[in-house]
Amino acid sequence: MRSRLPRDPFPQVVTAAGFAFLGLFFIYPLYGVLSASFLDPSGTHATLGNYAKVFASTFYRASFVNSLTIGLLATLVTVALAVPIAFALARLPMPGKAALLALASLPLVLPSFVGAYALVLMLGRAGFITKALQALGVPFTSIYGMPGIVLVYALTLYPYVLLPTLAGLKAIDVSLEEASQNLGASRWRAFWTVTFPLVVPALLSGALLVFIETLENFGVPFVLAEDKPILAVEAYKLFVGETDTNPASAGVLGVVLVAAAVLVLLVQRRYLARRRFSTAARAAPPLIAVARGWRLLAAGWSWGVVLLALVPFFAVVAISFLQFRGPVLYAQPSLDNFHDLFGRSTQPLVNTLLLSTLAALFAALIGVPIGYVLVRRRSALTAVLDAVATTPFAVAGTVLAIGLVVSFNAGWLVLTGGWLIMVIAYVVRKLPFSVRSASALLHQFDPSLEEASVNLGVSPAATFARLVVPMMLGGIVGGMVLTWVTVASELSSTVVLYSAPWQTLTVVMFQALEGEGPGVAAAAASVLILFTLLPLALIYRLVRRYEMSLL
Amino acid sequence: MTSIAIEGVSRAFGSVRAVREVSLLIGEGEFFTLLGPSGCGKTTLLRMIAGFAELDAGSISFGARRIDRLPPHRRNTGMVFQNYAIFPNLDVAGNVAYGLKARRVEAGEIARRVEEALRLVHLEGMDARWPHQLSGGQLQRVAIARALVIEPEVLLLDEPLSNLDAQLRVEMRGEIRQLQQSLGITTIYVTHDQEEALAISDRIAVMRGGSLEQIGRPDEIYRRPATPFVAEFMGITNLLTGTVVESDGAGVVVRVGEAEFPLGGIAAAAGTPLTFCLRPEALRLLAPGEPVPDGWATLAAKLARVEFLGALTRLELRLSDGTALRAALLDRPVQGIGESDVLRLAYDPRRLVAFGAP
Repeated sequence: MRSRLPRDPFPQVVTAAGFAFLGLFFIYPLYGVLSASFLDPSGTHATLGNYAKVFASTFYRASFVNSLTIGLLATLVTVALAVPIAFALARLPMPGKAALLALASLPLVLPSFVGAYALVLMLGRAGFITKALQALGVPFTSIYGMPGIVLVYALTLYPYVLLPTLAGLKAIDVSLEEASQNLGASRWRAFWTVTFPLVVPALLSGALLVFIETLENFGVPFVLAEDKPILAVEAYKLFVGETDTNPASAGVLGVVLVAAAVLVLLVQRRYLARRRFSTAARAAPPLIAVARGWRLLAAGWSWGVVLLALVPFFAVVAISFLQFRGPVLYAQPSLDNFHDLFGRSTQPLVNTLLLSTLAALFAALIGVPIGYVLVRRRSALTAVLDAVATTPFAVAGTVLAIGLVVSFNAGWLVLTGGWLIMVIAYVVRKLPFSVRSASALLHQFDPSLEEASVNLGVSPAATFARLVVPMMLGGIVGGMVLTWVTVASELSSTVVLYSAPWQTLTVVMFQALEGEGPGVAAAAASVLILFTLLPLALIYRLVRRYEMSLL
Repeated sequence: MTSIAIEGVSRAFGSVRAVREVSLLIGEGEFFTLLGPSGCGKTTLLRMIAGFAELDAGSISFGARRIDRLPPHRRNTGMVFQNYAIFPNLDVAGNVAYGLKARRVEAGEIARRVEEALRLVHLEGMDARWPHQLSGGQLQRVAIARALVIEPEVLLLDEPLSNLDAQLRVEMRGEIRQLQQSLGITTIYVTHDQEEALAISDRIAVMRGGSLEQIGRPDEIYRRPATPFVAEFMGITNLLTGTVVESDGAGVVVRVGEAEFPLGGIAAAAGTPLTFCLRPEALRLLAPGEPVPDGWATLAAKLARVEFLGALTRLELRLSDGTALRAALLDRPVQGIGESDVLRLAYDPRRLVAFGAP
């Protein structure tokens, strides 16, 4: 007979609330997309016809092939860019490492579609670099299509490989390499037989995240793909439909997209994430003394890649202060673009600030308790919650948004057309970050701290509020700011969910891209970059640890 | 002051039975130590008392009040953790005041009691320091002050000294003992260090594989170990097994090689094997011609090795059948003997402790 302690209700309440929220606003909408993909046009009978129709079309088959090809290429290029930087940061003497690392993390939070748009301004058909090249007689037409998309992905997603690889290299205890050399291996051999195999899981794990990100990204291909079909974009077009909407076919593309990304995520979790050799090193390996030429090469490569990745963002800010006449750019300083942007209405700005703030607040309110329960009260149930709560990362924003519309545009809960549905989409999408960062923070505190509090007479729920939250506060605030800045530039679910009174800056930019001209788009991009960099600069110290923990 | 009654307590983690049917009575104001190697269940038992581990069976009471169904924050125990568990976001005074605030003690009273508790652990004037500014020993004192200030019914200490260096460890264990004596608080102390347990405890329970091996005063445990495990764990290296050659109502004689050991007060049939122990320091080296003390027995053994340890000289000997025997001589000159010499040693047969058949 088991004399059980009276059940402490806190983890149960959190787990139940977590499941309720994710069940209603994540699983149920995805189920909506899934069932839409299996319904015949009358909406009453299950059929495989939609799949047959979509796969019979060369256009949609091409979208599938394009998405996978771009993802694969971008992942390879990313690894090639990032791994040498990681090695240089960890093991080679190089000037300005701290600054380099700080700048290298920025692309994670800067809006990638803004980078894509900047690339168009520079290397598009009317881009100033394109024109300069043509004036020099170089037969360059434009960056549109696959090369441009792969380039933008590689330059914005390389930190996903860089950060874990760097952490992996730093986590290898110096004695391992020494042991290898002591046993007769040359330094070169020691690296390839000991050091490199130890970081491979971390490296691959980051690479798969890059692949997932490329699959689900909407903004970059929307800006750069032109008529090349891409899954995330075609799903959106089918659903929003300029002529008529086709939720069934959009559902099919959505299901394919989510299935591919979730499959990769599962591989990443099952086979790689756990194989990270993360024993804390007692002594990090020493810097390798190399010849001057190698040092210059390492510094040149690292600084070159990191700065190149930021060039588009600098360029777009600079361009936003120049004058456009129609699509043509003139080298004349002007604030006209900002006049055009804010002249009509400042409502999009207000909306962006408001919605981001709400999303950051709720993501923390829901994510931190879940992160706590996942770390401190492990059970079979919380393992499921962990899997569900961290999966939205792999689900394309457009698909989630389509699911939310399908599920909540009629019936007992109608949310479409309002602000709440947007905030819900943001919170669901950012929940993995919130949960993961809370867990990572908690791993830094020994559980005996909480036991000490309980032992001194404070109930578990009160211990969470009075001890755990204050201890984690720096990290929580850092996480909220990161959520805030990434929501402020969120595009993929926003374009599906917004309604006229709730336009955001990204929507204004999106619309400007489609029609109104590049001036307004550049100004909106500029404001978004400002919104990203300013808060990050203010809380730089808090955020750095958080970013490392995302991966 | 509170007595503690632990009755038939068990706990399994999966297939591992961490604690098996343990029953203990701990008296009011007693300093009671749970001693054993890692994995013996001592920490689990302590955590059951604090409420951090569930019981599969059995009960725990403080006095007449059963507490094993109370949530941990209602048990009024003061626990000192192995890693101190000092809250990094609170200063010294904040840490010590934490439990008082939870009990809604009014502010003036809190200030008074915090000051008193800090004085008790010799940390006067350190109230505004932050944990990261303190040394390991100071953190330890804060942890003790924090546990004592709430005036717990029972003080629980989970290997509190294992993170300190050797000298500080000896100093702190003296202070902990003194503090416990002056407050008269019932205390349970968990350690794997037998010397620490002997130095500090009123009584010791030696645990092994989730069960109690022996409970007793330090000198009982040391001198009369109940099992070979306890004997070995308490540092007795002479664990011998021989054959009973004589048996009468008063005792038996056991032969190991050619050496015969008279063991009083036990019965065993001739021809059966018997295991017993003899502390190395119970053996005395006899100089040639030196008379044997009254009632003592002697044996002859060949010297294999001499180890000079300062105050102590350790001899490694071999009985005629090759069985190893160790003798420890305190402050005795050992000149004039060399390897392979056959030495004559004497001991008081009452120092022999017999165990059942191995």
